[in-house]
Amino acid sequence: MDPAIRTSALTKRYGKRLALRGVDLEVPAGVVFGYLGPNGAGKTTTIKILAGLLRQTSGRSEILGMDTVAERDRVQRHVGYLPGEFVAYPDLTGDQYFRFLGNLRGLPASGVVPRLAKRLGLDLDQRIGTLSHGNRQKVGIVQAFMHDPEVLILDEPTSGLDPLVQREFLALVREARDAGRTVFLSSHVLSEVEAVADVVAILSEGEVVVTQSVDEMKQQAVRQIDLVFTSEPPLAALRGAAGVRDVTSTGMTAHVVVEGETTELLRVAAPHGVTNIVTHEPDLEEIFLAYYAPAR
Amino acid sequence: MLGNLFLKTLRDQRRGLTGWSIGLVLLVLVESALWPSVSDMPNLEQFLEGYPEPMRELFNIEAITTGQGFMNAELFSLLLPALFIIYAIGRGVRLIAGEEEAGTLEILLVTPLSTAGLLLQKLAALAVSVAALGAVLFVSLVGCSAAFDVGISAGAAATGSLAMVLIGLEHGCLALAVGAITGRRGLAITVAGSVAVAGYVLYVAALFVDAMADLQPLSPFYQALADGPLGAGLPLRFIWMPLAAVALVLVALPVFDRRDVATAR
Repeated sequence: MDPAIRTSALTKRYGKRLALRGVDLEVPAGVVFGYLGPNGAGKTTTIKILAGLLRQTSGRSEILGMDTVAERDRVQRHVGYLPGEFVAYPDLTGDQYFRFLGNLRGLPASGVVPRLAKRLGLDLDQRIGTLSHGNRQKVGIVQAFMHDPEVLILDEPTSGLDPLVQREFLALVREARDAGRTVFLSSHVLSEVEAVADVVAILSEGEVVVTQSVDEMKQQAVRQIDLVFTSEPPLAALRGAAGVRDVTSTGMTAHVVVEGETTELLRVAAPHGVTNIVTHEPDLEEIFLAYYAPAR
Repeated sequence: MLGNLFLKTLRDQRRGLTGWSIGLVLLVLVESALWPSVSDMPNLEQFLEGYPEPMRELFNIEAITTGQGFMNAELFSLLLPALFIIYAIGRGVRLIAGEEEAGTLEILLVTPLSTAGLLLQKLAALAVSVAALGAVLFVSLVGCSAAFDVGISAGAAATGSLAMVLIGLEHGCLALAVGAITGRRGLAITVAGSVAVAGYVLYVAALFVDAMADLQPLSPFYQALADGPLGAGLPLRFIWMPLAAVALVLVALPVFDRRDVATAR
């Protein structure tokens, strides 16, 4: 069986700038695939090539075994696409917009749109131009899911959504996967992808630097944790804990850089009287620099 | 009106079309209302002889002694063609370049709709929209002619209106084509507007400069306006305007099909 998405040696050049340098991806059907990378790494360029909106300079890209250039219209039939900057017609209401898109896609009238709108808390009778940024993003999510496409390609889907709606969105993604759909979603926030993805690829400066399962990634993720103690931090003991790579301190606070699981660190720290724990979201660039770079 | 892209595009134009139609009706009404007093001027012909020769030729002023000639000189020699061209360019640039700059084009493309289908539905909507404005012109010409005894036959009103539709549509298609090729609305307006001005300059210059007389038939203004357009019948040269329009869209199609689509800016 063909993978849901496959790219080989995908390259995109804008004038002199190389946005993608030979990207190879293989996403099996029925998987949530997280496409991570800092801004400007080439995530959106990859996504637009997959959606048939850009043409690669060289290399191949396929969705469901169909070439995204030669068979673009067939590919687009099977894709739900949410652009990074989603814009809908401001003069239409949500209801009118989805009716229009439903007609373009040849969908019969159904209860799917109202059901999706209700779950996300979107008012379909309001004109899109009067909606807040977060609510417009909901419009974008509904239009990507409404025709139950086999492949969902979502560029930074949670931007502007409040945490409750984010959770509902992640539930939609999981349900789509459980129904056998393939979800390709990009993000520059690791935690967002961790929560839902099965496999993650990290992109840096137009190259995929690593592809692995989220479980493996969690094992290897490097996080900074600040532990506030009741007295002088027990630096020596902390340094000895498994996974700890670096410890510094300012006053009562120990700044610990830990790789993978934090169980051992917390077990060692607890007897010394911890009053507060602040964990910093690992920055992707940091993960890349701190962990993958030396291994290459 | 949301059943397909063609209808949706027409729906987007309903307000603009209504406003332009009202303006057009008022314009024809005012000019027609002037006619009775102009035709009653006792020494109209002497008055007209005072005009410099080039002006007399450009506006076909000798013919002003008839209502049809008056309307040709007052409305059809510059004002109406310019209005139809501006209307069509204004719609034409929005169809692709406007949607692309707004950021709505991406979602339209990631559907079973092909780029060719998209462009052709947009073209059809533009043609219907400009033709609707032409129909408004026709009806107001016939109505006002009857009311103020201007003496424009229904046939003359029809071919005159057709000439306006064709010259407008040609420039609108140029704007659509440049917009589809580049995705840039400002550039499409500039190119289509410049071509319109160049066409007019060629048409006028050829009246005065003998060396340019051979080039005059190339100007859309010549094709649309020569010897009329009211009263010139249905000349074969009209055909160049829709042919050029179709050719422009055909040139744009493969480029639009292959090029990268920009993100909202």
